[in-house]
Amino acid sequence: MKNKINIISILLLTLFINSCVEPFEIQTETFESALVIEATITNEFKTQEIVLSRTFTFEEDGPSPETNATVKIIDDQQVQYAFQETSPGAYVSTTEFAAQPNRSYELSITTSNGSVYRSFTTATPPATQIEQLSVDRITNDDEVNGVAVFVDSYDPTGNSKYYRYEYEETFKIIAPRYSEFNIIVTNDEFPDCDVALVEKPSDLEERTCYRTQISSEIIVTNTNGLSEDRVDDFQVRFIPRSSYIMSHRYSALVKQYVTSREAYVFYETLRDLSGSGSLFSQSQPGFFSGNVFSEGNPDEKVLGYFDVATVSTSRIFFNYDDFYAGQPLPPYIVDCSPIAPPILTNGMGDACPLISAIKSGFYKYAGPNNDPDPVLGEGDFDLVIKACGDCTELGSNVVPDFWEE
Amino acid sequence: MRKFLAIVLLFSFHWVIAQENTTKITVSFTNVSIPDALSSIEQKTDYKFYYIEDWFDNKLISGSFQDTSVSDILDAIFKETVINYFVSADGKIILTQNNLIYDKLPEGFLDEGVQVVVDDEEYESDKVNPVFNNQEKSARNSEIETIRIGKENRNNNNKRFLLSGYIRDVKTGRGLPDVAIIVKDRNTGTSTDGNGYYEISLPAGLNVLQTKSLGLENSEKNVIIYNNGRLDIELDEDYEELDAILLEANKDSNVKEANTGVTNINVKEIKNIPLVLGERDILKVATTLPGITTAGEGASGYNVRGGKTDQNLILLDDAVIYNPSHFFGIFSAINPFTSGDVNIYKGNIPAEYGGRLSSVFDIETKEANVEKFSGEGAIGPVTSNLVLEVPLVKEKAGLLVGGRTTYSNWILRSLDEESLKKSKASFFDIVAKYNHKIDDKNDLKVTGYYSKDEFSITSDSIYGYSNRLGSLRWDHKFNDKNRGSLIIANSQYKFNIDYEASSDNDFKIGYDINETELKLILKYILSDKHKFDYGVSGKLYNVNPGTIEPINSGSIIDELTIPKEKALEAAVFLSDEFTVSEKLLLNAGIRYSFYSALGPADQRVYQEGVPKNESSLIDTVEYGNNESIETYGGPEVRVSGRYFITESFSVKASYNNTYQYIHTLSNNTTVSPTDTWKLSDSNIKPQEANQYSLGFYKNFDDDAYELSVEGYYKKSKNILDFKVGSQLLLNETIETEVLQGDGKSYGVEFLLRKTKGKLNGWLGYSYSRSYNRLDSEFREERVNNGEYFPSNYDKPHDISMVANYKLTRRFSVSANFVYQTGRPITYPVGTYNYNGAEYVLYSDRNQFRIPDYYRLDLSINIEGNHKLNKLAHSFWNISVYNVLGRNNPYSVFFVTEGGEVKAFQSSIFSRPIPTITYNFKF
Repeated sequence: MKNKINIISILLLTLFINSCVEPFEIQTETFESALVIEATITNEFKTQEIVLSRTFTFEEDGPSPETNATVKIIDDQQVQYAFQETSPGAYVSTTEFAAQPNRSYELSITTSNGSVYRSFTTATPPATQIEQLSVDRITNDDEVNGVAVFVDSYDPTGNSKYYRYEYEETFKIIAPRYSEFNIIVTNDEFPDCDVALVEKPSDLEERTCYRTQISSEIIVTNTNGLSEDRVDDFQVRFIPRSSYIMSHRYSALVKQYVTSREAYVFYETLRDLSGSGSLFSQSQPGFFSGNVFSEGNPDEKVLGYFDVATVSTSRIFFNYDDFYAGQPLPPYIVDCSPIAPPILTNGMGDACPLISAIKSGFYKYAGPNNDPDPVLGEGDFDLVIKACGDCTELGSNVVPDFWEE
Repeated sequence: MRKFLAIVLLFSFHWVIAQENTTKITVSFTNVSIPDALSSIEQKTDYKFYYIEDWFDNKLISGSFQDTSVSDILDAIFKETVINYFVSADGKIILTQNNLIYDKLPEGFLDEGVQVVVDDEEYESDKVNPVFNNQEKSARNSEIETIRIGKENRNNNNKRFLLSGYIRDVKTGRGLPDVAIIVKDRNTGTSTDGNGYYEISLPAGLNVLQTKSLGLENSEKNVIIYNNGRLDIELDEDYEELDAILLEANKDSNVKEANTGVTNINVKEIKNIPLVLGERDILKVATTLPGITTAGEGASGYNVRGGKTDQNLILLDDAVIYNPSHFFGIFSAINPFTSGDVNIYKGNIPAEYGGRLSSVFDIETKEANVEKFSGEGAIGPVTSNLVLEVPLVKEKAGLLVGGRTTYSNWILRSLDEESLKKSKASFFDIVAKYNHKIDDKNDLKVTGYYSKDEFSITSDSIYGYSNRLGSLRWDHKFNDKNRGSLIIANSQYKFNIDYEASSDNDFKIGYDINETELKLILKYILSDKHKFDYGVSGKLYNVNPGTIEPINSGSIIDELTIPKEKALEAAVFLSDEFTVSEKLLLNAGIRYSFYSALGPADQRVYQEGVPKNESSLIDTVEYGNNESIETYGGPEVRVSGRYFITESFSVKASYNNTYQYIHTLSNNTTVSPTDTWKLSDSNIKPQEANQYSLGFYKNFDDDAYELSVEGYYKKSKNILDFKVGSQLLLNETIETEVLQGDGKSYGVEFLLRKTKGKLNGWLGYSYSRSYNRLDSEFREERVNNGEYFPSNYDKPHDISMVANYKLTRRFSVSANFVYQTGRPITYPVGTYNYNGAEYVLYSDRNQFRIPDYYRLDLSINIEGNHKLNKLAHSFWNISVYNVLGRNNPYSVFFVTEGGEVKAFQSSIFSRPIPTITYNFKF
């Protein structure tokens, strides 16, 4: 709700006043290296994980992990939980444990160069279960039609108040130009070049796959302004009508974290500062601290938050037909118009275009060319971009354990 | 010279015939004319009267005299007139208009005998001041009208007399503001106030008064002044002069006035400046003058001498206008056709104003034509504007009504772009002013104003804001020395956000601030040397800091109302314009302001010495209605002085300090319409500032060029800033988000103006810096480690040029050029991954700058012909804004989209924008 107050999206009257918002390539003017802490301890009994990395320049591909640090969590009864590095920057608790109610925890990190970082003590918030998930066809604020996933939750004690969500979505992909045959090159010598069609092995599933994606956006809400601690039809995911991910069957696993007010403010601030800017007024950006600080140098910037949260999960499924029965599917993720390169060209640089296309590895056989066309080609075979004929380009051909048809 | 001597000799005849007149008669008149009365005296005595009958109007007199001396009877008859008389020994009574016939020469007169040369200096140094009308030849030889003022009084040895009156438009009868009145060859002068009223002290005798004002005909009058008196002058508009851009009314006020940092813009004279989307805009013109800037195009709010945007007191006919902008600041909410005059005080703020740290924009709506119905209008690409002036009581009262509206909604809807069809933006403003001249001593003015903006970006939310104000001003003249004005003003600003998505969390958010002020200003002219202004004012604030309520009954939105705030701000002030010597003029003022936050309220008390937050809240104290929660106050010194180094070269210096008890809450880098105003309370202290300025002013070439250099240094404290990412709207504990810090700014402003000739305009340059500091012993309350950092509007180099060249009587071309250093921004110094998405790590605040800003605008102005009998005068303006098509970045921002950081740069007017506007006047 409040994020709608989040003023003035970019588009306002763009054409009308000749204004423009254009992307540009950021260049690192000066670089500051800082420690980044991703640490959420939950009330699930498991090995808890903490990831440490450092900031990187815009020219670099990704973060460098903070390796060889000593990481531990201490609870308010001085019980220590040690962590060990399993892969660079990823630290996993040596024992399984869960954040206990009415207990508080502190994170302690000593990096390999001897800097010591500590968090404020953070208490376990109350646990509240997701009441239900629902899906509905809606038109969103931007007047885009689609399907949204909503969550309902209710804490009769009124203590939860601050919620954060993550989702893991899995959806079925059916390759639209799947063929039982592969095309193979039998002779690549001009002018004798030739191809053959071979049947795919029956145990090779390339037609139906499942893809799983994890949310990366910050989804938070609170029930402060409400008469009861009730999350009601809160939208955690919106899938536009044009997205291929809901073409067949879709499932979302929604994780609800009940968190502290401080953590909520941290996530909300991070979201607001990284959210859409406005043409006319821009929130003052800047560094804002989380709850981890450097013991030796209080002015050092430390990024991230040590969050202790309770978690509740729930899964929902829906089919495209539930909302758009009889309507054309959304466009596939790639353009599946076929090309039909001829096997030989004569005159203009003697070559075997079909052989070159197959050898490039970009294409899959889709079927015989029923509609010779001077632009797309007058060859005998239709080729399509690989993902159109082979779903394993996009997902896994193994049906997930949780999948229900 | 020969004639002059002849006159002196003529007088000497009368001088020798001194006599005492003791004849007593009994006579009575009932409703007879003065000549008739005189002839009845002639009949009863041997006296013979000599006079010109024209001197007397049809005035009838009555009176009854028993055994009274003729001189007493005559004194009674001529009491109300400007007639003097002289009784000669041979029984002749010679009447004179204005002047006395002297029966003896002033002391020392004969010593200089016939050699006497009566010139200005002579008059000024005379001990006794008979007025010898010795220069009347000039009046006879030319067409210059000669006017006699007052009746000479033998007992009046004053060297100087006060002349006052109104300068009016001959057609409309309206008082003309800012007409310069210059005393030829004497280097003195004054100018009319907003009502066309002027006062000037003149040496006894002949003065040649010239009136000058661009856009008006010039006039020259010989004024022979015998006593305090009144002279009203009527002037006609001069279309040939219309091409001048900006008027400094009093042509030498630049060098003469005591105040530093005063800018006057006459709206009538800005019509040739190139326009954005066809809108003439007074406040935009103000930003082309040194010291007044905005954060960028499309930023509402003005930064004056390095001050924040909430530090300007913007007054429209004495009432505060909180958000003087439409459409995010692209247009100002001040109708250019109804505005008369704008005075901007950025240096020394007169003591009568207070409550803001940086400046006062005093905008006056012009007065309605009291002679005939007239109007003015404009049709532009975005808005239409119409102003009507309706005389209600001829020569006394009139009503001016002006309205402006946009048709941008229509434009938006007609665009092909799908994403814009759901957008909506509209605004309008209306202003009405009633002016009534009750009599010579009383003037009444009533103004009402309303402006509204509405826009939406998504289909389900609508933002709206409005300004409403009303003021009543009663000017009263007690006598020649005392005048006063009583002002009552009320202003309201509010905004609302309606969110209606037909879901169960539809809501409505509202905010409003309302203030009512009562102010009494009195003027007392003690002498030529001391002119006092003094008065009191009181202001009551009522703020509804925010409400949210469900729109429909099924909504689960909890109604929330942040408790109202109330406060009283009062002040007493006194200032003296003290002419110490011919060279030194002081304007010394003091203001004592007092503020009290009033209940009912629950005031939160936080632990001392730790950051304010939920955990340091120790108590909540309840205050009853009108109970004082916290008081603040202090003396505010407003001193400014001018010293003439030469006649056209002066130096001025000023010091002033100011308090501000009301603040905007904004965590945007620029102003947004949903910024709210917050009153000081026990947790938020008033802002304070001290400003020192020093300037040099020089006029060249008969005041055709004005050059000024002014420097200032300003320090402020308790200016508001906010923690990064704070939510300010509907926040019940706003004090936990507020940081109060110091401000420091300094600069040098150069301005060269050419006010005459075919080419006119100005060139301004300022070098200025503006810094803030947010320091605290707690890290969360510190920004940039507690060091000074450049403010969001710190633009060291700022060059503005406005030039207008008159090609012919009807055609002129004009150009604007602006160059500014890019404003500071907070730029990323690295990126990081967090929970599967990339984010950026920002630099210290305002460590970087966006690229420099520059822009050139051109326009052509075509006047319709000037035939008097034409139905309407028309005027075309063709402008191209941003001719160079410079894509000036307004801001850069970084968003995380789909888990990746993307950088965007926005600009408001990235291409040349041509517009054409048609103006008409009838």
